[in-house]
Amino acid sequence: MRQAGLDLGSVNTKLVVLNNGERIYSRVIPSRFDSVQAGITLLKTYVEEHGEKPDKLVVTGYGRVNFPEGRVITEITCQSRGCHAYFPDNAHILDLGGQDAKVIKKNAEGRVVQFIMNDKCAAGTGRFLDVILKGLDLTTEELDLAAEAKPMPINSMCTVFAESEVITLLAKGIPKPEVIAGLFKSTAKRLANFVESVGHPDDLIFTGGGAHYGLLVHFLEQELKAKIIIPSEPELTAALGAASLA
Amino acid sequence: MDNRELWTALGMDLEKHDDFLAPIPEVYTNLFLNRPNRPKAMGYFDMVVGDVHGIRVHELYAMKEAGAKVFSTFCVYVPEEIVVATGSASIGLCAGAQYTVSSGEKVLPRNLCPLIKSTMGFKLDRICPYFQISDWVIGETTCDGKKKAWEILNEHIPTYVMELPQKKEAKDARLWEEEVREFASFIERETKVDLTAENLAQGIQTINNKRQALQRLANLRKHNPAPIQGLDVLLINQLSFFDDPVRFTAQVNALCDELDERVKAEIGVAPADAPRILVTGTPQPLPAWKLHALIEQAGAVVVGEETCTGERYYKDVTESAENVSDMLANIAKRPLKVNCACFTPNQGRMEDITRMAETLKADAVIDFTLQFCQPYGVESYFVGKEMEKKKIPFLRLESDFSEEDQGQLLTRIEALIEMIRA
Repeated sequence: MRQAGLDLGSVNTKLVVLNNGERIYSRVIPSRFDSVQAGITLLKTYVEEHGEKPDKLVVTGYGRVNFPEGRVITEITCQSRGCHAYFPDNAHILDLGGQDAKVIKKNAEGRVVQFIMNDKCAAGTGRFLDVILKGLDLTTEELDLAAEAKPMPINSMCTVFAESEVITLLAKGIPKPEVIAGLFKSTAKRLANFVESVGHPDDLIFTGGGAHYGLLVHFLEQELKAKIIIPSEPELTAALGAASLA
Repeated sequence: MDNRELWTALGMDLEKHDDFLAPIPEVYTNLFLNRPNRPKAMGYFDMVVGDVHGIRVHELYAMKEAGAKVFSTFCVYVPEEIVVATGSASIGLCAGAQYTVSSGEKVLPRNLCPLIKSTMGFKLDRICPYFQISDWVIGETTCDGKKKAWEILNEHIPTYVMELPQKKEAKDARLWEEEVREFASFIERETKVDLTAENLAQGIQTINNKRQALQRLANLRKHNPAPIQGLDVLLINQLSFFDDPVRFTAQVNALCDELDERVKAEIGVAPADAPRILVTGTPQPLPAWKLHALIEQAGAVVVGEETCTGERYYKDVTESAENVSDMLANIAKRPLKVNCACFTPNQGRMEDITRMAETLKADAVIDFTLQFCQPYGVESYFVGKEMEKKKIPFLRLESDFSEEDQGQLLTRIEALIEMIRA
């Protein structure tokens, strides 16, 4: 039986297909402000390549309510299930997506026992980092240097205020790598507090596009004094969970 | 006099008022009237909302013509028994709409609870006939935001403030009793009616009857399948602050009679396996229906409200007494049993929530805080801890009166339901 999971995120749309529990297909494409259309495109591409529709489909993520087919399950349940497939023993998940940051606590069966999400604000989400990093026109070299730099504190956690704070620091002549390091460190601090409001983890599963920021992971590990575990494709775990629930 | 003449006479901004009311019929039809299987007795409450700025305002206008006064309140602590005893009216204020928030922000900080901003905006915009018809606003000191906002509101309408203590020790009870006695004298002075053992006993009885009818309704919600939607009860709780108390009581009791029959016949508004949710936290004044609507849209049913637009308003009644002085003492005693987050410490509230969750067989608790409401926002920590201890699934939500975050709220609510059903 082929089970498909489609995660319609605000930034990326992801499809995972399982055949008798084994992953046979996965793909990520940008949502471009229309995750429903992106999902339809992904499914169509899959059918073109494999000749038939999956037997079952679960849709999740922010665009799920408007998707024309499939069973709807929230990204919280899907994320928990997807992570459980990789890491059955770890209880805490931090998911840093485009719009949302969430912390999920799961039990030994992979079911959600507690979760929290950020308020209606981009502070501390992937969007927060994207907005500021994009404005900085970073080179790879500057990013590498940031890993060694002394982090300059960034105190504003409102995206717009943080952006002006960054601009002010640069105007004062603070080197870009120090500012970037500070940005990641302050975000890590905020995320660590967020995680700890659900309880202190020894090991934390970190998923979502945000897990690709190496420096953020580094500071998060430091702040939490916990081991951070990242799935090989951290943005795919919710889609994987959706597929396994289909 | 038709509605428009009445509104003109009250000095309202008709154009703005039309604009404010325009979307309400459609919203109400979608949220309430189109729902299947509603009790027939909801028809009365639908009628009241259908002309929410008409029927009752005409009545109040007539009362004023006959020499009575209108006092508007904002809080369950204000003793409406005293006002009713003098033959005057005690009514709740318009407070739960996004429409007026931006006007409120002209004089108030943006980082302030939407309820206070909305209220202020209703007065500044002159689109709430209840505000316009009021002789006095009766404020209280339940939070810093309100306490200071009264000073600004007083520039637009005479505002009398009662000082509610913040602890429940003997000396606090003495202060509050003193406040209630002063309030009684103030009402006597304003209405030119003396409080007597007869009229005060009558006032207490009228309001007790109202609270008991609401208790009866709340108690019916413990049955499974739920005989009535939470959204309908929320509406009734909201209207309990506005409507004529005697007529309202009769209508709530008529509804309860119908619900008794439903319970006997095991007829519900939701399937027996629908998750049962207890909502705790800040009030949801008319027309703030978003939270209940989302919960019930997601397939759960709200079985109780540990809020001021719920249990806190009617959980206790005033004990009777022989003379005016003892009656006033009893009137002062009742509110101090109410566990508002403005009190410290406030362990009683945790006991209320646990008791309600047990009696109503709630599958989960959603603790709802209006943005920037510090007392409830902070106390949410203890609610979460208590629910964890009692192993009751718990979700904390924060929002305001705007519509834009419905998707985000729904995701959280649906995840909670999946959690319960897993």
